[in-house]
Amino acid sequence: MFADTDSELNEWLEMLRSPDLSDRLVAVKTLQHLGDEEALEPLIVALQDESTAVQKLAVTALWELANPKAVPALIECLVSSNEEIRDEALSALGELISPDHLMLLLDAVHRDKVNMQLSILILLRKIHDAQSLPYVLPFFESDQAALREAAVTTLRYLNQVERCQPAIALMSDADGTVRRATALTLGHLADAEVVPALCQALTSDADWQVRRNAAKSLALHANAEAVPALQTALSDNHWQVRKFTLQALQKTPDDRALPALIKALADEYSDVRRDAAIALGKLKNPAALNALQQSLDDPDRDVCIFTQRAIQSIQESTPETSNA
Amino acid sequence: MALATQRVDVPVIVDESKCLEKCTACIEVCPLDVLAKNPETGKAYMKYDECWFCLPCEKECPTNAITVQIPFLLR
Repeated sequence: MFADTDSELNEWLEMLRSPDLSDRLVAVKTLQHLGDEEALEPLIVALQDESTAVQKLAVTALWELANPKAVPALIECLVSSNEEIRDEALSALGELISPDHLMLLLDAVHRDKVNMQLSILILLRKIHDAQSLPYVLPFFESDQAALREAAVTTLRYLNQVERCQPAIALMSDADGTVRRATALTLGHLADAEVVPALCQALTSDADWQVRRNAAKSLALHANAEAVPALQTALSDNHWQVRKFTLQALQKTPDDRALPALIKALADEYSDVRRDAAIALGKLKNPAALNALQQSLDDPDRDVCIFTQRAIQSIQESTPETSNA
Repeated sequence: MALATQRVDVPVIVDESKCLEKCTACIEVCPLDVLAKNPETGKAYMKYDECWFCLPCEKECPTNAITVQIPFLLR
């Protein structure tokens, strides 16, 4: 029984070395289906095959074998000239790498190949190790926007990184995608110094997605210093910005925002009206009750429900109102 | 299951110029066993007209020789 299996495997391994391309394709596909660990080394060799079709199937087969010994060979595939092979290798490595491979990845990130560096920056997000920080920071000054964006996104995933001054500087990057990623990353740093930069982006960035992301991050920081900027952002042209600004105001209830919140109850978009009602509920200011009563007739069911809850919340916090 | 006599009408279309004679990947992955090798040509074909449109045959083919035509209402 075992002898039969071995001879079958050897037959396919032999075929993998055939000069005929169709034989090698069939062999690599069959080895993928067999899933035998004995095929590990021959499949790693097949990554150097002259045919990109064989190389790609070998990457898939190694991914399915899920043996960490294949990781160094798969990292080499990240510099392949074929985009499909690079993508397949990146997907495979995303599942195969572990913290044990950190040094291997950090060595590879020094290689002067943009595709390799981009992929390694993505893979570092899976490991979450703050040791990667010194290797990630130089990419903030890369002349490639894709690398700057990947690096600042990776920073978001590194545990225990609380402060990062160079990341704040990226809020002034010329590229919109970099600023978008930076705005989100700053929300994950436990550093109050990022709040003024986020407020600045929220009120004056030309890209509405940057402004929206800044609002999202300010909601995470829940810092009262941001309230004036949040008030200004309630007049933003984009409803997504207004919506996330209201979510930030829910985290930092402040009476200064009351008039702007009441105005937002009449917004054109129901998502904005709903979040305005929630924010007024958190404010617990009885001055909002009249405006909220009018929102009970809102055409959107969601808004009615949250308005009702907001009224209830205000009444519970001011007993004399509920008794009236 | 009905035998697929009109091969142009079946949902699994095999490009015979790409199909490898020694390969049986699509036949092995088909959960309904509706694919087979044509003994005359050595190429895969849809023997029975029954398909779940699950697509592993298309995905597993090493030469992208298979196309599964998914009915409009299932897309």
